[in-house]
Amino acid sequence: MTQQVIVGVLVVLAAGFCVWKLMPARRRLRALLALDAFAARHAMLAGWRQRSLKPRIARAAGSGCSGCAANVGVRPPNRPR
Amino acid sequence: MDAAVKTLRVALVGVPNCGKTALFNRLTGSRQKVANYAGVTVERREGERTAADGRAIRVLDLPGTYSLSPTTLDEAITRDVLLGRVAGESAPDLVVCVVDAVHLPIGLRLALEVKRAGVPIVIALNRMDVARRRGVRIDLERLSSELGLTVVPTVAVARGGADALIAVIDAPRWMDLRAVATPQWQAPSAADAEQTQADLRALLANVGYEAPADSAWGRRVDALLLHPLGGFVVFAVVMFLIFQAVFSWATPIMDGIDGSMAHLGAWVKTTLGDGPLPSLLADGVIAGAGAVLVFLPQIVILFFFILVFEDSGYLPRAAYLLDRLMGWVGLSGRAFIPLLSSHACAIPGIMATRTIPAWRDRLTTIMVAPLMTCSARLPVYGLIIAAFIPARDVGWFNLQGLILFGLYAAGILSAFLVAFVLKQFGGARRYSPLMLELPDFQWPHAGNLLLGLWERVKIFVNRVGGIILALMIVLWFLATYPAPPDGATGPAIQYSFAGRLGALLEYVFAPIGFNWQISIALVPGLAAREVAVASLGTVYALSATGDDLSTQLEPVIAHGWSLATAGSLLAWYVFAPQCLSTLAVVKRETNSWRYPLIMAGYLFALAYLASFITYRVLS
Repeated sequence: MTQQVIVGVLVVLAAGFCVWKLMPARRRLRALLALDAFAARHAMLAGWRQRSLKPRIARAAGSGCSGCAANVGVRPPNRPR
Repeated sequence: MDAAVKTLRVALVGVPNCGKTALFNRLTGSRQKVANYAGVTVERREGERTAADGRAIRVLDLPGTYSLSPTTLDEAITRDVLLGRVAGESAPDLVVCVVDAVHLPIGLRLALEVKRAGVPIVIALNRMDVARRRGVRIDLERLSSELGLTVVPTVAVARGGADALIAVIDAPRWMDLRAVATPQWQAPSAADAEQTQADLRALLANVGYEAPADSAWGRRVDALLLHPLGGFVVFAVVMFLIFQAVFSWATPIMDGIDGSMAHLGAWVKTTLGDGPLPSLLADGVIAGAGAVLVFLPQIVILFFFILVFEDSGYLPRAAYLLDRLMGWVGLSGRAFIPLLSSHACAIPGIMATRTIPAWRDRLTTIMVAPLMTCSARLPVYGLIIAAFIPARDVGWFNLQGLILFGLYAAGILSAFLVAFVLKQFGGARRYSPLMLELPDFQWPHAGNLLLGLWERVKIFVNRVGGIILALMIVLWFLATYPAPPDGATGPAIQYSFAGRLGALLEYVFAPIGFNWQISIALVPGLAAREVAVASLGTVYALSATGDDLSTQLEPVIAHGWSLATAGSLLAWYVFAPQCLSTLAVVKRETNSWRYPLIMAGYLFALAYLASFITYRVLS
């Protein structure tokens, strides 16, 4: 029974991780920003927010996804339409 | 004063391949990719440094550009960031114009243009060590006074080589200047361009600049490498030897890892006994993720050679050599670097197409980039070749290496063929010539090599320990539950969710020789190609009964598959778009679902056709 519980937890965690990693980079960044807004409203999450969430957001924003703010509005110079 | 006001934003600009990214890494402690050719950076990167007084300084690394009048998307990014035209982002407070001291005129020309835009600017005269060695003479004080700017010598690749620049950037005075600086720039007229050129000539004469003499050995090497016939021979021999080395050198280490994984799996099963947890660890984690980890030595060897070529300056010469050939099939010469990058991974390759100015050329390159053999295919190729091709020599060559070379060549040839077909649909097109600066030859920098290899190892191990491991745990669950009914005679996996899915998929894939185990492996393999190897490891470990128990995949498939099935799977992987991330990047880069759908359609059709023919011929 203990083994089945451990395996169940591992499978659920792995499935969640797969969903997270296979999510488009832009959507993942939005999810992190939503989490950041939530954490900002709760004082007890301040440490985790500063220590873990902020660097993760910085990495997600600059991860070469070109979905970040810097590339919004930049288009190929001779792209049709 | 809030944090946003206190943060100074510094942008690095310069012509391609002048050392901006090396300087960026030096300033921020980052480890962005650097190489000895133009077009490595195609997007804006941001890093942070902390000044001695505790202020945060944000540093932007921008793609190289020869002027502020862009011809390509990456140059447009530089111009727009520099002039504050990007939505939600002001212009940088300080621009560090990185000028290659060895090739001073071309860098100074851009510096003059940036200066006219009215942004606070500092000149970093990079590669001063090489310039001194090659007898370049520059009066730094005179240059500074003539330009009216701070000029700092730097050696970005050397420890401490950017200390003088750091001292200048960290000075608080830039905080005061930024409020008054608003960039003003208009596209220069022909008269403006001539004036800039005249100013540049006068400036170079005043600072006593003397251009470096061409090195005699460099000229001799170039005469061979750029020779229309000799160059091709050298290129083919070099590529051939790399693939020989990938198999010959890696085998002992791979055997060691393989054996360790088998022992570990057996130990887990004997120590923990029966039950779901030992099965998950042995059949899911060790047999699955371990099957991919075995291929780390091959990937390290392949990237060692690629990094040597990148650092030495050989790659742009190869691009020059292949320009005419690429023109024949309808590809721009500028497509060489993106297509070469695609051998590591199609995603940076597709992003690197931003350096191609003509939209149609760029689109053609994007459409064929996934045909280049990315490193994720190596575990699949390696597994099948090791299982079916005997490790013997043919003349001087290793037969397994020959087959691997053939598979890489098949990818390149099919890309050329597809580009040629696309060219026929495109109508008459304007020829866009390749303009490429050939960098000086240099000995590969040991630090860059080690760093580059370390990054590749980290990426691979992170994938194995991250997404591949997680997918294998999920696959183990799907391949284990529900349990077989009472009185079932076949392996338990046949009654599981994955087994039933495999049986359904087998109807689709049976004509090309795939059994239900391969059919199951292809599904998680869509997340990343090498996951298919891990999936085969897990599926076969769970399919085994009694004495067949084994966590070593290679002997199992060598025994269970026909040569026709193995050949068919190899043909499938040459073409199939088994990577969702690549399709997502194509959607983003083309701003449309149309092209990724076309790409997926034509690649799956090609893969099925090639596998069908291979299977029928070998059967």
